[in-house]
Amino acid sequence: MDFGQFLSYIGSGTVLTVGVTLIALPAGLLIGTLLALLYVYGGKVAARIMNLYSTVFRGIPPVVLLFILFFAVSKGINLSAFWAGSLSLGVVSSAYQMEIVRGAVLSVSGDQLMAARAVGLSRMQAIRNVVLPQAVRLAIPPWSNEAAIVIKDSSLVYALGVPEILRRAQLIGASSRQYLLAYLSAAVIYFLLVSLTTRLLNHLEHKLSIPSNP
Amino acid sequence: MKKYLLLAVALVLVGAILVGCASEPTSVLDKIQKAGKVSVGTSADYPPYEYLDDAGNKTGFDIELMAEIARRMGVELEWVDMPFDSLVAAVAGGKLDMSISCFNYDEERDKIVDFSEAYYTTEDAFVVSSAFAGTITAPEDAANYKVGVQSGTVQDGWLTDNLVATGLLPEANLSRYERVDQAALDLANGRIEVLMGDYVPIQALVAQNPDLRVVYNGVLSTGPINIVLPDGDTALKAEVDRIIKELQAEGFIDQLAVKYFSE
Repeated sequence: MDFGQFLSYIGSGTVLTVGVTLIALPAGLLIGTLLALLYVYGGKVAARIMNLYSTVFRGIPPVVLLFILFFAVSKGINLSAFWAGSLSLGVVSSAYQMEIVRGAVLSVSGDQLMAARAVGLSRMQAIRNVVLPQAVRLAIPPWSNEAAIVIKDSSLVYALGVPEILRRAQLIGASSRQYLLAYLSAAVIYFLLVSLTTRLLNHLEHKLSIPSNP
Repeated sequence: MKKYLLLAVALVLVGAILVGCASEPTSVLDKIQKAGKVSVGTSADYPPYEYLDDAGNKTGFDIELMAEIARRMGVELEWVDMPFDSLVAAVAGGKLDMSISCFNYDEERDKIVDFSEAYYTTEDAFVVSSAFAGTITAPEDAANYKVGVQSGTVQDGWLTDNLVATGLLPEANLSRYERVDQAALDLANGRIEVLMGDYVPIQALVAQNPDLRVVYNGVLSTGPINIVLPDGDTALKAEVDRIIKELQAEGFIDQLAVKYFSE
């Protein structure tokens, strides 16, 4: 077998890798943003709970959470390996994304919120229309880092038997005994995925950047 | 990574016990017959027991055996590929009806799953590269060298209990690999001097690497291999055992062994 055949066999797992990422990353963003807002604006009790959430889920290796959700929790509910894996990664990522969004929100000067209130905006309006649009721009660079991490972490769902890039590399490596070639092919595909994503996000960062606020 | 997996399995055990108390005692056999299909797990990266052929289809000793078992149960066979470490937890957690992946009986595993009758018996082997100048006449002689083994296998258990725990082999001289073939690479590179593994796949490895040779083989740890079944499911176990005995009596399993193990 040559490199081309390896690439095409392993590459057909890309659909699953991208699928897992496209569930985990937006799920993490949605949960992470909501929790970050609660963290910053929700008062002391909410902040303490969010802090706990962040500590717990950043403290558990993703693969452990994956096993818990797939083998223990979903014994009653019939959650497929793909969904159990994607959602676990989403939860783990949400803790990191919460910290990213929180940092970005806090970087927007508190005076702006006061000024917005002074011209008659409600608290919700001010957060939505003044703070968040600026925070989003600030969050893009660290977020593109998180996106790269989630793409690579998606390889962990192999432990549940989802035939994504890494698992396919293992299988074809074992049958052909050409491990170096198999893992090299996987590395090439992951590299392409991550660098493409990073480029896209860099582009977005430039497009959205505020001229007066470099 | 391995530590995390262990931790995960421990957590799964706790979960399985909690959920197990509440579940009603219906046999998985009923479920299989009602659905008309059996969902079987394997880790298709262990030739010649289970691996992919050039077309990417599962093949091997276990694969063909399981296909015949499913045929005789009168149900369709649905394969689920999973890494070896996940298979027992998946059967214990009810994600799979059974698993076949060159499993040996193991007391720890027996606490959360059941084992079928043995369908075949294999041996262990020590393999070295052509550069090896030492001698291994008894299995304990391996303790004088740098040894490699696939982590979590019965061979790992044998080395740990018989060579490391007895002080013969310093822990630092035992390298545990996630996969046998990674260990074979290190053997060829000289990072380890002796590799212990299952005799049948070792023979296949040696056949593909003329640089490697077997210096010792015998029944140390491996012995019989069994199918992993849900815990306490006597009806399913009776059915699987019945078919295994039938296939052994007909010589079907011996024919498979010749087909896959005499490359």
